[in-house]
Amino acid sequence: MAGNEADDAAKIAILKDALYDEVRDHGSESRLFSQKDLMELGIIPAGNLLLLVRVVQALTDDKLFVGVNSGAGIAWRWRSREDAKKYTSLPNDETMMVYAVVDEAGADGIWNRTIKHKLNMHEAVVKNCIKYLETKGFIASMKNVEHPNKKMYIKANLRPSERATGGPWFTDGELDSAFIAELEDIVFEYIKTHSAYLGNQGLPRDAAGLRAPKKGIIKTEGGEPSRGVKRPATEITNDDQQVAASGPSSKTYHADGTAVTTAPGGRPRGKVYLPMPAGYRHYPTVLDIAQMINDAGITNNTTLGPHEIQQLVDVLTYDGLIEPIKVNGRRGYRVTRPTKQDTVAFSERQKQREQTGGVLIDAPRMGVKPPANGLTEAPCGKCPVFELCEEGGPVSPSNCIYFMRWLDIEDSAVARPNGVMVV
Amino acid sequence: MSPRQLRHGLAVLNQHSLLYFDVSSDNGLTVYEANTDNAYNLARIGKVLEMVDTSLSPSAKDVMQSLLLSGQTRVSDLVAAYQSKIDYANNAAKLVKHEEDDWPELNGANGDVQVVKKPDTSISSTGQLNSVLCRLVEAELIEVVHKKTFLSPQDILRDVEKETLDKDFPAGVKGGKGKIEYQEKVAEGLRKVRDESKSLKRKLEQNGTAAKRRKLFSGVGISNGNSAYEEEPGDPSLDPKQVIRINWEKCLVELRNRRLYQFVADMIGEPTAYVYAVLLKLLTKRLARCRLDPAIDIKEEGEEDIGVGLVTTDEILDNLKTGIDLSQGLGKATKDKISSKAAEAVHEHPPKKKLFIAEAEVDGDASADEEDEEGSGSESEESDAEYEVRGRSSAPVRNVTMVKFANAAAGKEQRLDRPGQLRQHLLLLAESTQHFVRHCGPDEWTVDFVPLMHTLCEAELDSVIEQSSGKPGLRLVRLLRDKGKLDEKSLQNVALMRKAEVQQKMLQMQTAGFVHIQEVPRDNKADVKKSFFLWFCDIEKSATRLVDDSYKTMVRCLQILEVIRQREKDVLMLTKRTDVKGREKDVMRKEYYDRYSRFRENEKKLFAQVMRLDDFISLLRDF
Repeated sequence: MAGNEADDAAKIAILKDALYDEVRDHGSESRLFSQKDLMELGIIPAGNLLLLVRVVQALTDDKLFVGVNSGAGIAWRWRSREDAKKYTSLPNDETMMVYAVVDEAGADGIWNRTIKHKLNMHEAVVKNCIKYLETKGFIASMKNVEHPNKKMYIKANLRPSERATGGPWFTDGELDSAFIAELEDIVFEYIKTHSAYLGNQGLPRDAAGLRAPKKGIIKTEGGEPSRGVKRPATEITNDDQQVAASGPSSKTYHADGTAVTTAPGGRPRGKVYLPMPAGYRHYPTVLDIAQMINDAGITNNTTLGPHEIQQLVDVLTYDGLIEPIKVNGRRGYRVTRPTKQDTVAFSERQKQREQTGGVLIDAPRMGVKPPANGLTEAPCGKCPVFELCEEGGPVSPSNCIYFMRWLDIEDSAVARPNGVMVV
Repeated sequence: MSPRQLRHGLAVLNQHSLLYFDVSSDNGLTVYEANTDNAYNLARIGKVLEMVDTSLSPSAKDVMQSLLLSGQTRVSDLVAAYQSKIDYANNAAKLVKHEEDDWPELNGANGDVQVVKKPDTSISSTGQLNSVLCRLVEAELIEVVHKKTFLSPQDILRDVEKETLDKDFPAGVKGGKGKIEYQEKVAEGLRKVRDESKSLKRKLEQNGTAAKRRKLFSGVGISNGNSAYEEEPGDPSLDPKQVIRINWEKCLVELRNRRLYQFVADMIGEPTAYVYAVLLKLLTKRLARCRLDPAIDIKEEGEEDIGVGLVTTDEILDNLKTGIDLSQGLGKATKDKISSKAAEAVHEHPPKKKLFIAEAEVDGDASADEEDEEGSGSESEESDAEYEVRGRSSAPVRNVTMVKFANAAAGKEQRLDRPGQLRQHLLLLAESTQHFVRHCGPDEWTVDFVPLMHTLCEAELDSVIEQSSGKPGLRLVRLLRDKGKLDEKSLQNVALMRKAEVQQKMLQMQTAGFVHIQEVPRDNKADVKKSFFLWFCDIEKSATRLVDDSYKTMVRCLQILEVIRQREKDVLMLTKRTDVKGREKDVMRKEYYDRYSRFRENEKKLFAQVMRLDDFISLLRDF
């Protein structure tokens, strides 16, 4: 009888190995094998169901098979021997169960509260198990972008899934703003240089009495340094003296007779980005940009697909730096306000930035400053107490220090009591 | 206030159209109402004058200024005022500097036309005055004052409705059809009232000189010299009893054109903007106002699009100043990189009117070919002949056009591809994401003002947001505008911004009124913790808020000015003395003069600021 038993055990051990190897040949770790599947592998002789049950039980005990409750009844999937060894090396059932739960969660990781909930174990027990597993190097804690405050665990040999890490934009669970900013720079520069024509802007012909439009600037003597207030067309009529003083050059007439007071910002004339003629077919598309980024090898350990580039491009569009343009059903992107863009080469700008420690003097990082606006440039547009301001109140026009500073009038004078006024 | 003072005050206010009044037919009582729109228009005086100065002539500006200062005026009074001025100018060897710096205070001075200007801009004869007036009337910048001018819009509506009811619907309005008919009748009546103020223009047009004059006028319109505005014998003299005043609505149209020009210059480039300005000028010649009045401008069947018509490429070319170099401002690309089909696409939207798109496209291609030919065979007679053919076939009325073409072809070789260049600029405008123009037919262009102004408003809003909340703020707002309502999480994901940053920006912008939040409960219990919070942005709302803020800021500027005036009272009193006026620098002590000039400096700055605020307000509110 004893010999028979030993014989049996040996037989099962052989069948076990044979079945395990056969199963491994028939699918990946995630494939589920039903009882029928296992039977049809032809390892178990004569369709002996009882024998199969015993073999599978042995395999499950060895942690080489994992029982899964699939829709159509119980099924199994195999587990590698190394993994199985980890299970068998664990000291007790609790630890094993915790490890199993973490294992099951896969690349998404699992929250420690969920573990507790799932296993219905005491918190201290779970804690102990986790501690043991962590010190053994079986599981590791991770950060999930979607739930940055939850303590999550993942099997140590797995890399957190894209969903958990947030894709290429995240580094260590944090949005990598610097990385994004750099890429935005590059994408914008690419679009800028590929969607507009770098040409010379000659001066309008003088012979016909048309003068070069100049930017009318009121010099604020001793006022805010280096701030040119763009001269509104209307102001010209307010004071004829000024027109006379500044001479005819401050006004330019054109066909319509409209006075020209706008001009590209104080840049020296010369190279200027010009818009492409209508119907231009080569505005860069998202695919073009993705290609460029990949070819340039800027992102050496992350690959950015068209989807990611689309995200970047969308952001730039929302920033008002570029605009989508469809030509013959081909969706390309082009730079907005091309003539206002600076023509400094990218490398040049990088150098300048390095010198100044990352800060560009008097220029936005990308693109151009928004057009000036009457509201935001008046002190009231930025006034922190705008809502409170009224005559007779604690803050009022008659004692407004912002306006006095703006007009460059000494503050001391403000306190004068006879500032009472009626409008 | 004594009755006399009151009467005088009312008269002055009336003179400047700051009041509506209605004499009740029942009891003879007169009801007054403030005309706030006109009162606000006073803030625009400077802008309007500048516009007239540059788009018509300095002398026209002078006349406009007189009109502004005196309110509505009888033609004969204006002539008399100028007559005395001319005499004075002739007599006086030295010109006295007028008190322009005080002009805002002059508003109240009734009929005080004392504006003596530099000799080259002022009117030198009454005949010249007459023709300047004619020009202004033709441009609709001046309108006739009639009985109903002083009725408030509501009163006019009431009168017209009553009249219509009495005349056409004595039995009352019945049924849906009757209602529509009634509305049409009312609209017609209102229109009639409105058109009454154009009677003078119509009279001028009947005289037949207007059309011819306009031609000449637009041709020389920008020359600075005075010679072009000498008396032209063909002008009919205006009825001296006619009372005229400034037509603000038309002025607004002109101001809007300028604004659009600036916008294009900023978005695309200056040469293109020049083209656009010409196009707008031609297009809006017949446009009386920026915004249609829903009560009046009901479309009648068979009627053309109200106001906006279309402009052909040739017309633009004819009016484009020769000094403009159209080869500038456009990038170069080889032909194979350009899809002419996409560029030349004709959009016959609004879609109600059908155009044969296929045909149009063929036409477009054909004309492009034509232009190529023109470019190559420059001085040959053939091309001249072709011009002639084109001129005749497309517009038999405009014989002048043809002549011009021929001249151009013969004289200037280097600009032969000018029509082609012009087309390029127009196509660029049509292709722009803002849709500045619509290529509504082969070589025909029009502007859809309503959507365009909407875009422009958005752009202006954007620049305010960018200036006050920075690029991240702008990004979030435009994102919301594009996607509709979003919760905070998706906002972070799409904007690629950190949570803290998004939260802070959104809160800041919510306080500023740029974005709004909506709470959507998950279930009936409306548990706050479980509710969704969706961000969204309402352009309308933000714009209204900004307009209000701008009014407030405008008032602040004026209040500050008053504060400064109070402070420098002693100096200003001094400058009011007749022996000081005009010679401030010589007469005043240095210390005083410095204070005075500093005051002037600040005053200028504040007025400029008010003007810019008005730019903003008019864009959001009126255009």
